[in-house]
Amino acid sequence: MTAVHQFVPALLPRDATGDHTRALRDAFRDAGWDSDIYVEAAHDELRHEATYFERYPERARPGDVLLYQLGTSSPVAEFLLGRHEPLVLDYHNVTPESFYEGWEVHTAAKVALARHQVADLAPRAVLGIADSAFNARELAALGCPETVVVPILVDVDSGSEVDERELARLAGRHGDADVLLFVGRISPNKGHEKLVEALWMYRHLYDPRARLHLVGPAVTPDYAAAVFAYADELGLGDAVHHGQGLTTGQLAAWYRDADVFVCLSRHEGFCIPLLEAMRAGTPIVAFDAGAVGETLADAGILLSTTRPATVAAAVDRVVRDPHLTEHLVAAGRRRLGDFAATTTRQRFVEVLGRVAGDVRVVA
Amino acid sequence: MPTTPSASSPAAPDSPTAVEPHADDVADRVRYLDEVMAEIDAEVRRRRASGDLPAGLEAELDELFLEFSPVGLQGQARLRETLSLVDSSAYVDIAVPTASNKAVGSYVKRLIRKGLGWYMNFVVAQIVKFAWSVSRMFHVVVDHLEELEAVVETQRSPDLPADVVPAARPGADWWSPAAVDALAGASDRVLVGDCGDGSLVETLVDAGVDAYGVDPSDLVLEPALDRNLDVRAEGVLDHLEVVAGEALGGVVLTGSVQWLRPNERERLLDLVATRLSVGGTLVLHSSTPEGWAASVSPVVRDLAPGRPLHAETWVHLLTGRGFAVGEPARGGADRRLRRVGTGAADADAVNAAIDTVNDLLLGPTEYVVVATRER
Repeated sequence: MTAVHQFVPALLPRDATGDHTRALRDAFRDAGWDSDIYVEAAHDELRHEATYFERYPERARPGDVLLYQLGTSSPVAEFLLGRHEPLVLDYHNVTPESFYEGWEVHTAAKVALARHQVADLAPRAVLGIADSAFNARELAALGCPETVVVPILVDVDSGSEVDERELARLAGRHGDADVLLFVGRISPNKGHEKLVEALWMYRHLYDPRARLHLVGPAVTPDYAAAVFAYADELGLGDAVHHGQGLTTGQLAAWYRDADVFVCLSRHEGFCIPLLEAMRAGTPIVAFDAGAVGETLADAGILLSTTRPATVAAAVDRVVRDPHLTEHLVAAGRRRLGDFAATTTRQRFVEVLGRVAGDVRVVA
Repeated sequence: MPTTPSASSPAAPDSPTAVEPHADDVADRVRYLDEVMAEIDAEVRRRRASGDLPAGLEAELDELFLEFSPVGLQGQARLRETLSLVDSSAYVDIAVPTASNKAVGSYVKRLIRKGLGWYMNFVVAQIVKFAWSVSRMFHVVVDHLEELEAVVETQRSPDLPADVVPAARPGADWWSPAAVDALAGASDRVLVGDCGDGSLVETLVDAGVDAYGVDPSDLVLEPALDRNLDVRAEGVLDHLEVVAGEALGGVVLTGSVQWLRPNERERLLDLVATRLSVGGTLVLHSSTPEGWAASVSPVVRDLAPGRPLHAETWVHLLTGRGFAVGEPARGGADRRLRRVGTGAADADAVNAAIDTVNDLLLGPTEYVVVATRER
């Protein structure tokens, strides 16, 4: 029997990599394959779905294919380097350490280690799966013998149930002021300070009551503190609203409430929030960094700069031009179709099946 | 730095001229978004021209955020400031706060503090002693460094007059079209070092490039500021220190690049190689050594800390730093001697001598090197 077992540093609920890993396992099992998940750590909710990675050798079978969900440093990488089974990398990108230098020494060291691990694993893998061409280029540059682009598995149809009470609460807070939204962890590579600058400029030039909604955990506390202190210094303390720990319905409400989704991230390996904004029908203005351009395609205004005047002008154009908004929302819906979970799932089975030599699938 | 919105009322939005395509055609959609983007760019230019966006405003915003970032990100070796942070955190306070929302909580905390005081005192005294020893060591190192800096400072070459560098008005010069060609389509901002009156910045902006400039001289920048160009009074080295890694789509180096000290040249190359994005373009303009020698006084020639390199040397240095370098283009003043007519006596011998002199001493006085960062 074909067996594709996944390895992932941490299996977490309501987490993009965790959801992706579990959905893939289900897809592989639906294809009639043997498939388990091996982890370094698992959240209590998912502990029953995972096995500690060092227990794999006692369960290994000839013909196994190992698929590593690679997005951070982990002892799992060292473990896999010592295995002889065909190894496939599913690369979600690692933020370069330079973004954390000066902000968080231990995170910089951790991502540097992760990048070293990618460099060690890439030549050892038989195939690199990347969720964007941007990530595929990185893998190829590190010596991965073959790469293929398959997007991350996101259920683009679910999660659109809006928490109406949350939506009403948000509307009550800002009235009819324009709302700019960004969703993503507060971390130096995400460019939150540029969003604050863009808000300042937008209020300066277009709507003095405009607000910026930021959703995401403050994973780099010093950076988050600097961003909010910067907002205060610019007189935007009350105009920047931070949300975290939201339920799926609440998050959908924040998307629905926003006039425009603005992404000024400097490094993205894929950028799932773009798909979430498309799903919510929120028009997008984004800086063309990393894989943002290819994920977005023509479903948003793609900027070549994060200069606040340009960002503000783009936001204003989207907010005040209903024809453009309608066009972007329609393009977003079309683009979302390219990431349909059934297609992606099938593609993964096809690609992994080829590695495993499963002729039934290849045929 | 203004901290409140401008009192000027927001302008009414321009009527969109781009027409939304009805045909479900990818090319139409792309064209439509290109038109929208062009209108957004035009809106930004209109805002700049109207005075809504004073020159340097965005640069001030960039710099303001640095005040909230860690010392190490501010681009300067602020040893004393960093050291004071070490000093302030080297003291460990054993007076644990005992405030509590509940009366009994406060009592219990005080009890624990009192009970463990003798133990904590003993441990903390050793930790503080260690921390102060480390801090003291850093103070010694910093003192020593500052002494070294003072010595190095005394060895500096005398400052040279500004006219050491052959006057170059980049926007009007022979190499300006080559620079525009090389930088058109740059994906990120393009920095023009030693931008002078901003003519090259303006030419690049007119060509659709998101360009800005720096120049160490306020006075020289005035015409550029009058034209609302984004220029800053700053040396190119100091500026590149604070630019984020891979943030620039292009860099133009001219002016002082010709006579940097060797260590400054190395620093500049390192900075350019890290601040340019992969695929970014460097345009480097310089006098030739011969052209420079002919254009400055013997005193300047003798005392200048550095002197222009040959184009081939830049090619060598840049290639070693991961750049793909094209064939240097040469130009500038033509100082070549004219050949004598064929009817003149000993014409062949004289012309051969003239050719040799032209090749060795009187060739093109300037060159431009275009390089692309490959890794």
